[in-house]
Amino acid sequence: MTLTTKSFEIFCGTGGVGKTTLATARGIDLAASGKRVLLITIDPARRLKDLLGLSESQIGEVIPVEVIGVKLHALLMSPEKTILRMSQKYQTPDLATNRIVQILSKPYGGMNEILSLVEVQMQFETGAYDVVVLDTPPGAHFLDFLEGLSKIRSFFDQNFIEIFSYLGQKTARAGKRVFGLGIINRFISTGVRKLLGYLEAVTGGQFIDDFIQAVQIIYQSRDAFMKGLSLQERLKSRSECNWFLVTSVEQGKATEAINLRAHAGHFIHQDHYLVLNKCLASDLEAWAPTVPNLLAVKESLLGKEQDLKGQLRAVFPVVLEFPEVISLSPIEHLKHLTEKWKTYASHR
Amino acid sequence: MDKPRRLYIFTGKGGVGKTTLAKAFTRCLTQRDLEVAYVTFQNQSLGERHGATRDVKLNGIREIELDLEDAARGYIEKKLGSKLIASWIVKTPFFRALVNMMPGFSYLIFLGKMLQLGADDPRLILVLDAPASGHALTMIESTTNFQQIFESGAIFEDTMKMLGRLNDPEYTKIHVVSLPSLMSWQEAQELRSGLVQRTPVAVEITVNNCLYPLVEGNLDELPASLREKALYEQQIVSEHREQMRCVLPHSLGRDAASIEADLLGALPNLI
Repeated sequence: MTLTTKSFEIFCGTGGVGKTTLATARGIDLAASGKRVLLITIDPARRLKDLLGLSESQIGEVIPVEVIGVKLHALLMSPEKTILRMSQKYQTPDLATNRIVQILSKPYGGMNEILSLVEVQMQFETGAYDVVVLDTPPGAHFLDFLEGLSKIRSFFDQNFIEIFSYLGQKTARAGKRVFGLGIINRFISTGVRKLLGYLEAVTGGQFIDDFIQAVQIIYQSRDAFMKGLSLQERLKSRSECNWFLVTSVEQGKATEAINLRAHAGHFIHQDHYLVLNKCLASDLEAWAPTVPNLLAVKESLLGKEQDLKGQLRAVFPVVLEFPEVISLSPIEHLKHLTEKWKTYASHR
Repeated sequence: MDKPRRLYIFTGKGGVGKTTLAKAFTRCLTQRDLEVAYVTFQNQSLGERHGATRDVKLNGIREIELDLEDAARGYIEKKLGSKLIASWIVKTPFFRALVNMMPGFSYLIFLGKMLQLGADDPRLILVLDAPASGHALTMIESTTNFQQIFESGAIFEDTMKMLGRLNDPEYTKIHVVSLPSLMSWQEAQELRSGLVQRTPVAVEITVNNCLYPLVEGNLDELPASLREKALYEQQIVSEHREQMRCVLPHSLGRDAASIEADLLGALPNLI
């Protein structure tokens, strides 16, 4: 089995399984074959930083790095920096200064997934890269990432677009002044006015006002958000995207990977691969322990790994196995995994 | 052993055995004749699943699965005194956009619902199987963030109360679960320091699934990869033992029930 390189290579999985390291190794292998690679991680644990030798101040910027003698670019997502880049690119300074947008774009403010979609799109548009390798947030949170796309769509749904295209004209006329609840009340339907009235009782009037202002400001940057939608089509296309679902023997669970596969069904096409990390079976099979309690250890570990592989192979057409690498040095670890990717690749 | 708290939050990267541990801990408390429930919720968008909060007794432990729409509707109903209006509000595109665009908002709704469960039944202990790493921070931070966002109104008052509970060391305790590998350990510490910056409650790390206690004394008999794994685990644990609340050995059990049974003995340490 050989892998074909695509414009987007997406790694998702259950977290704590070596997903970031495997994505980094894949990026290094692609770069070593001559591709211009950008590696993006939105994993909040930011362990890629250590592997790539990046400092805290470089987070959120595209940085040229050299790892085990291979050159590539790396970007550790920072929602604030993405907001800043958007506000510069689309000339919407309010986006970077609005109170609600600021709070929401804090590292744990909750807008990571949506902003990373926008970031991937903005970076790919530059034309500077052949491949964008994307390391997604762990576990079911990857689904948020996909959901991010539908959230963009539902956010800018018809009702909103009507309200805000009207507001947009008003805003333009008034020289970018932002309108609050008062103005909106004058033209929106009775239904919406009623709704806002009820919500005010719960959330306080100031919030409704602020939220509408934030929405308006976000709406000014809608082009950037809407472009995230075009990314969705490309990720669905077999010729543009490879999907890697990563799990590990240590984790011992097939259910999460299988659930992920089922949930992401309409996004994932034929070219998806299950990556099984930290396999011990070949060593265990060759081992003949004499002490009874070690025999129990062998049978338990081997049995669990075989059960897992059986469950995974029943669902995934291709399972790529990576052996357990015990090494205290992350760089040594990375080298082993890069070598292993080479054996699966067809880009040479 | 400490006096039992009212809320235990289990967090950590996926695949570290958080769910198994949180369920076993729930059983451990249930066996001590305490009233306790295992609580979980799915990260979901409004309108994606509409359902009810699921509250069932499974294999002798109480399990509650929260539902976002149900929790939001319940809250609004309580504040406005009308079920009809609450049902309508949660279904409007505006409200869905409001919640879905700000994922932290759904955490606030879940946390609010959970603390409500705790307030309704003053004896009930809640064991929360929280979302993986970064999201645990999103969850904890959602209270502070939204407090800043709301500034006034009913939610503001309630967020203040929520924050009070989450920041009360007598009420809440957080367990970060890790595996005995350097990366997992570093991530657990990173998560712990992130949490400690945000809340004054106890945040303790438990290292799960250690192979070395099972093979100690027989290291020479092991194949190279297992021997290295055991030595490596031993090194990490011995270097950082004082920062680990609990170190749990790998279970040879092949199914969830026997793995849970293996864990039970050590779990009173987590109370």
